[in-house]
Amino acid sequence: MRTCTDCDLRVEGDWERCPLCGSVLHGAEPGGQPEPSPYPAVPLRFSRRRVLRVLTLTSLGVIALSFLAQLLFRHDAESLGALRTVWLGVVATWLVVLMAVSKRRNLAKFIVYLVLAAGGMSVYWDYLTQWSAWSLTYMVPILCAASIVGLLITVRLIRMELADYVVYSGLTVLLGLTPIVFLSLGWVGVALPSVICGALSLAVVVLLLTLRGGAVRHELATRLHL
Amino acid sequence: MKRRHWVRLDNASNIFPAARSDVDPKVFRLGAELDHEVDPGLLQEALEESFERFPLYHAVLRRGVFWYYLQDSDLQPEVRAEAEQVCAPLYQADRRTLLFRVVHHRRRVSLEVFHALSDGTGALWFLTDLLSAYTRRRFPGEAPAGGGDAEQVRPGASERPDPPPARIGTHPGAQAAEEVHELTQDSFAHYFRGRRRRREPSSHEQDFTREAAPAVLTVEEAEDPEDAWPEEGDQDSRSSRPPRRRIHRVRGTRTPDNRTHALELSMPAAPVLALAKAEGVAPTMFLTALFFEAIRRTDESAHAGATMAASVPVNLRQFFPSTSARNFFATIRVEHTFGQGDDAPGAVARRLQEAFSAEATPEALERRLHRLIRVERWPLARIVPRPVKDLLLSLINQANNRSLTVAISNLGRVTLPAPAQAHVGRMQFHVSAVRPQFCAITHDGQLTLGFTSPFVETAHVREYARLLTGAGVEVSLAAARTTEEELAGVDP
Ligand SMILES: [Zn+2]
Repeated sequence: MRTCTDCDLRVEGDWERCPLCGSVLHGAEPGGQPEPSPYPAVPLRFSRRRVLRVLTLTSLGVIALSFLAQLLFRHDAESLGALRTVWLGVVATWLVVLMAVSKRRNLAKFIVYLVLAAGGMSVYWDYLTQWSAWSLTYMVPILCAASIVGLLITVRLIRMELADYVVYSGLTVLLGLTPIVFLSLGWVGVALPSVICGALSLAVVVLLLTLRGGAVRHELATRLHL
Repeated sequence: MKRRHWVRLDNASNIFPAARSDVDPKVFRLGAELDHEVDPGLLQEALEESFERFPLYHAVLRRGVFWYYLQDSDLQPEVRAEAEQVCAPLYQADRRTLLFRVVHHRRRVSLEVFHALSDGTGALWFLTDLLSAYTRRRFPGEAPAGGGDAEQVRPGASERPDPPPARIGTHPGAQAAEEVHELTQDSFAHYFRGRRRRREPSSHEQDFTREAAPAVLTVEEAEDPEDAWPEEGDQDSRSSRPPRRRIHRVRGTRTPDNRTHALELSMPAAPVLALAKAEGVAPTMFLTALFFEAIRRTDESAHAGATMAASVPVNLRQFFPSTSARNFFATIRVEHTFGQGDDAPGAVARRLQEAFSAEATPEALERRLHRLIRVERWPLARIVPRPVKDLLLSLINQANNRSLTVAISNLGRVTLPAPAQAHVGRMQFHVSAVRPQFCAITHDGQLTLGFTSPFVETAHVREYARLLTGAGVEVSLAAARTTEEELAGVDP
């Protein structure tokens, strides 16, 4: 019987490494043959990790193809407008669910991903439907402002570790400033949504820096450490 | 058409189909390691013989509108080479299958049982019978005089009840509580070899109905509940519990296909008993304290001030003689908060022991049993449809899970009748679990701790083993391959 010197115990069966600590076992069998295990090796029925990975990759592939397919129909948008809207809605929801599942352990991160994905999708959608700038005028500012409010609520509701959310909260707030950029570049039809969103972001930036300035600096220093 | 006998599942057993899940199929395993490779043919013959004698094991579980019920069946069990993971699911809704299986692998015979059918004690009766029948066939020369198809008198039967707890311990704390876990007295062989009584010949149908009756009811028949049991409120001052703290729970990565992660530590029993004795506690509480310590050492989130809680089942047959093989246990919950005084395992064990002994008294258990029967008879509980009951019970189960860090089960020291005693070495005991758990069983001077968990992490078992080896106990480990890395190269 082999022994694990780290755990100071004998290990039955044909293990090469200790099932408890992973270190290499010592002592060979007298006959050179490993002692058979008292438990049979039962093959996996499925692998949770592999199933999830395959599902995610397939979904992402289908979603990407769905988006690309829209380009083929750009010229006769009038005739299939309703259909396209429904289809894009379904695909967008699917993408959001996928992100929610894969980022379920980090809500702050999920919010950043959500803003980027939803913002990007609405711009694409706008582009497909003969660009009237509704995405930049309304969609993006509303998304950013809503995500900042959502983040504030999340932080209140679940006691996240400050270190865990500082970076992604910061990113969310920075995204909240982008409508101001669009406004200054003159890409936006109506100014009000962008102005509100920008003001909200600035307020949160100031709040974050005055109340948690030290923590933010420390976290940034850690993350950006070379 | 043949009319089938049936018995509805009692409340205590109803929790198992309701709380069953992919992660925890509510199956437990009792195993025995023989001194030779198992002969499948003889094991099958032995199984057929034991199966005849245990009408309860003929049952299939079915769903009624208001209750689950056990129904007699014509299915025949077959022994199989072990090809599934430890505690693989047994009951599947809408599929009428037997609620137990017997598997063999090399020198081991294992009995797996769906918990709604029976508890550890009941299953041990079946396994004992099976091992006796097998070894009688395998070693015909060694059969006790007059062997063969003798009828057994079970431990805990009214003919020969286990000694009442009052007579067991010299001092009420440690020893008495330990004896509670002693499933069998040393006289186990006596039941099989010695006084045998002939039962009136009865039909299988009658047998089934009697055997499948809930354990509490068989007790109730034996005693008059109105006289024997104190009225509610008499001594119920203990119900004023301390306020519930947040209980530390172990988290981890699930195994790749929901299988139960089973590890087994075996060691000579004597040094462990000596360690417990030196601390002045029963082995169960000593082992529980070690479990808490092992979890505290491996879990970063178990900071000082963390409260850990364990559930410990108590075999009620010790207090209320019953021949029923059905579920008949109560669980007692013990807890310890770290960072408030002495946290050494010995000191923790003593405090757990105190709390446990206070609960494991005939009076306290009687009150619970009384309450159980009242709920059972409560008219409202009867007319609620089963799916709603399932939902309520699974919610109760979830709430219960939240208040537990680990679970523990000790079947105590087992003595088998000859010739099985001579040919069986270690025994094993595993229970499927939603949280880390260990089960203990002692046979032939060997203590086996069966660790189960739904997670791939094994750090708490490593620390547990190190605590034992550090105290000079020789430990050996047997493990079932579980994770993807461990199973790499195993063809499906
Ligand atoms: Zn090791």
